[in-house]
Amino acid sequence: MANKHIHGYSDQISVKPGERIRFMVSLEGATRYRADIVRLINGDANPAGPGPKEEVIATPVSGQYPGRFQPTYSGSHIAIDDAGALLNVGHSISVHAFIMPTTPARRAQGIVTRWDPERRAGWALVIDEHGRLAIWLGDGAGHLVQIAAPEPLSAGLWYSAGASYDGASGRAILHLAPVHNAVNSIVGRIAVLPPALMHAATAEQVNFHSESVAVIAGWAAGKAASGALIVGGHYNGKIDRPRVYGHALGAGQFDELAAGREPDSRGLVARWDFADGIGLDGIATDRVTDASGNDLHGRCVNAPARAMTGHNWTSREEHFIHAPAEYGAIHFHDDDLEDAGWEMDFELVVPDTMCSDVYAARVSAGNAVDYIPFIVRAPSSGPTAKIAFLVPTASYLAYSNEHLSFGQGTQAIVGHTTVLGPEDIYLYEHPEFGLSTYDHHSDGSGVCYVSRLRPIPNMRPHHRFGGTLWGLAADLHLVDWLNARGFRYDVITDEDLHREGAALLRGYNVVLSGTHPEYYSSAMLDGLENYLITGGRLMYLGGNGFYWITSYHPGKPYLVEVRKAEGGSGAWEAQPGEYFHSTTGERGGVWRSRARPPQKLVGVGFAAQGFDRSSYFRRMPDSTHSNASFIFEGVGEDELLGNFGLVGDGAAGHELDRYDRALGTPPNTMLLASSEGHSDNYLRVVEEIAFNYPGTGGRQDSGVRGDIVYFTTAGGGAVFSTSSIAWCGSLSHNNYDNNVSRITGNVLERFASDEQPPGT
Amino acid sequence: MAETDSAPADRSQIAFARWDRRMRESLRPLVTKKLIGEHKRDPVGIHSDALDRVLNYFRRPNLLDQFVIVCTRPFKQWRVARMTGVPGQAPVFVDERSYNSEAKAAHAVFLMRVDQLMRD
Repeated sequence: MANKHIHGYSDQISVKPGERIRFMVSLEGATRYRADIVRLINGDANPAGPGPKEEVIATPVSGQYPGRFQPTYSGSHIAIDDAGALLNVGHSISVHAFIMPTTPARRAQGIVTRWDPERRAGWALVIDEHGRLAIWLGDGAGHLVQIAAPEPLSAGLWYSAGASYDGASGRAILHLAPVHNAVNSIVGRIAVLPPALMHAATAEQVNFHSESVAVIAGWAAGKAASGALIVGGHYNGKIDRPRVYGHALGAGQFDELAAGREPDSRGLVARWDFADGIGLDGIATDRVTDASGNDLHGRCVNAPARAMTGHNWTSREEHFIHAPAEYGAIHFHDDDLEDAGWEMDFELVVPDTMCSDVYAARVSAGNAVDYIPFIVRAPSSGPTAKIAFLVPTASYLAYSNEHLSFGQGTQAIVGHTTVLGPEDIYLYEHPEFGLSTYDHHSDGSGVCYVSRLRPIPNMRPHHRFGGTLWGLAADLHLVDWLNARGFRYDVITDEDLHREGAALLRGYNVVLSGTHPEYYSSAMLDGLENYLITGGRLMYLGGNGFYWITSYHPGKPYLVEVRKAEGGSGAWEAQPGEYFHSTTGERGGVWRSRARPPQKLVGVGFAAQGFDRSSYFRRMPDSTHSNASFIFEGVGEDELLGNFGLVGDGAAGHELDRYDRALGTPPNTMLLASSEGHSDNYLRVVEEIAFNYPGTGGRQDSGVRGDIVYFTTAGGGAVFSTSSIAWCGSLSHNNYDNNVSRITGNVLERFASDEQPPGT
Repeated sequence: MAETDSAPADRSQIAFARWDRRMRESLRPLVTKKLIGEHKRDPVGIHSDALDRVLNYFRRPNLLDQFVIVCTRPFKQWRVARMTGVPGQAPVFVDERSYNSEAKAAHAVFLMRVDQLMRD
């Protein structure tokens, strides 16, 4: 029998008692599996730590279930709603589009099609298996016309591409002309390129009637068990202004189209305008408008990138709302995935007895186990604790299904040989599970949308990222410590904060961040800021937080957008003209580039990163100030803080934040401790380097450090920041009796109490 | 001027290969028993300038094989594998050896890279 694998996901990530959460599961190599709901306390199996802890919760979910493999169909495209079969145009046809293919040599790809690949019936403007523009016409009974350009297409070059076929005469024209200007393509106007092609041929007469669904960026390849369309022949690259005529255009008319002019519109069946819908808030819709008047509108599937620079982009405007006509392109990828679309296996109506906490549906078949994490919030009646743990689910999504560990160059960034686990390798072999914002699509472009409606093998309690702990697994160190120290807490998520703002936080005396709350929407920042200026208290227990500008899709809470614009430490950089979020219209990049550096909110901001070995903090003069004495109660003045831990052997590590008055650290901020002893694999972040210079590593650069700070806010609130991803990994050392645990506990006890923090 | 029909479409590959050769030549004299011993004692963290220089080359994209460590039993067993260069294809174990610590596996990778560095 094949190896057993089990994977799942849920439709919600945050639920209240009384609400419903549905779980989808796929099983390979077995026919039955067991499911239980478990409370997650700790996932880290490191023998130097307290070990994994979870508790089975008695719910109706517990039991055996029949399982089966559920396929996942990735690849973005547009399905056309053609109920009247208008795209069965008769005996003659013309198809035209502006295209910028990115992987023309990879395999055959559909551009605009109404094609049945099995019967070879219908019509299709395609890139053929030799990378050439081609038109295919077939009757499904062996009569097939295939006319291809003599030379393959070039990747990254905009073309006017079209074909026409006259059913009466069999006369066909294939049209292909580069339409590159100084900025729109990979090369400029001075590059020598193949001349424009207007290839005329006479072919046999063929009836190309088709029952297939019309598709842009692929072709209809079948139906899934759910009835959903399966698309094959996925196209990589951009398409702009595709159109179909019910008669054969001549060479002159193709020339007019290539020049951007509108030829005689008689016979026009469909003219899709991908820019229609762009407004001040972006274009957060799947709808694609047919502007011909025939209402052959389309629907984007699997989240292709919208509001992308079109064939006529001039670079004068960088924001699509200022020049929507220059943003008529959609960028399609064969590995886009918005929703795995699996059938539901079981569901849970959260009982009133389930306290707010971190949970998972644990599904297992023999040795194959998966955890589908979710959190339960406090009931609608209000908080059940003074402490709220704000789980950074937007950051979990940004890293979901990352493939960084496989990349060439990653080992230079992390400063050690990459360590892979079985989940990493499974994910690498199964690209259909989609990518993270740390990855490039198969055509080399950056991934700007991520969804949680798919299995995410690296968002698991035990998962190790390149050999270390990250995200959920690292944050469970905090949950474990809260439990070990007997603190009562509620749990909330980024999604909740984005939707509800400060109102979500106001019932809590203190909010705890996770270890790496890096991805923040404007609404989330506003929510935290409003909480802090109305008496709220925040313990920022991580590093590199509040960094990347992040959007939640307004109608799809499971979908997050990130455009890595210039000026941040990121895995890729958005193309010129594509820095603005399609789902909200706001500029992407780092918050620092929008005058909202993290220092303004939490007193510190991203300073350096390295991943070889963590270090320790040393107390600074402010730590002996009377206002800070509550923080260091029981800690000696000369003690090294956190020279131990489960994340790199120290509390100061991975990503570090620094106090910086020039970037908005509040003037009353107390610098309590700074880290030292970092290796040269810890490097100052790129956004702090204008002219490059040698010696920006930990052994030579004073800016490579993390700073622990405390300050009170306008409005009587307070912030304590530890400035290191590794901090929480030290909490459990020596059976939770250590100076990191003591400091964190001292602050939490005071912040959770109704007593005002010192200095307010 | 030589004909360049057999040259790669992206000529930067030629420059990259020449850089790679120069780097190897410059690093070979640094690889001593002492340096190998230093790595064996601790494959990560603060090292001598010479070892850092060798490791910086090993870890960045180069013309050596791309080695990775695969954890085959959590916290107990690690093996060394090689990326195939084909996207989506799992890395292949280089041999049957397994190691009882990540540090030992990292040093095994180091020795394989040293071998390639000194050989070519």
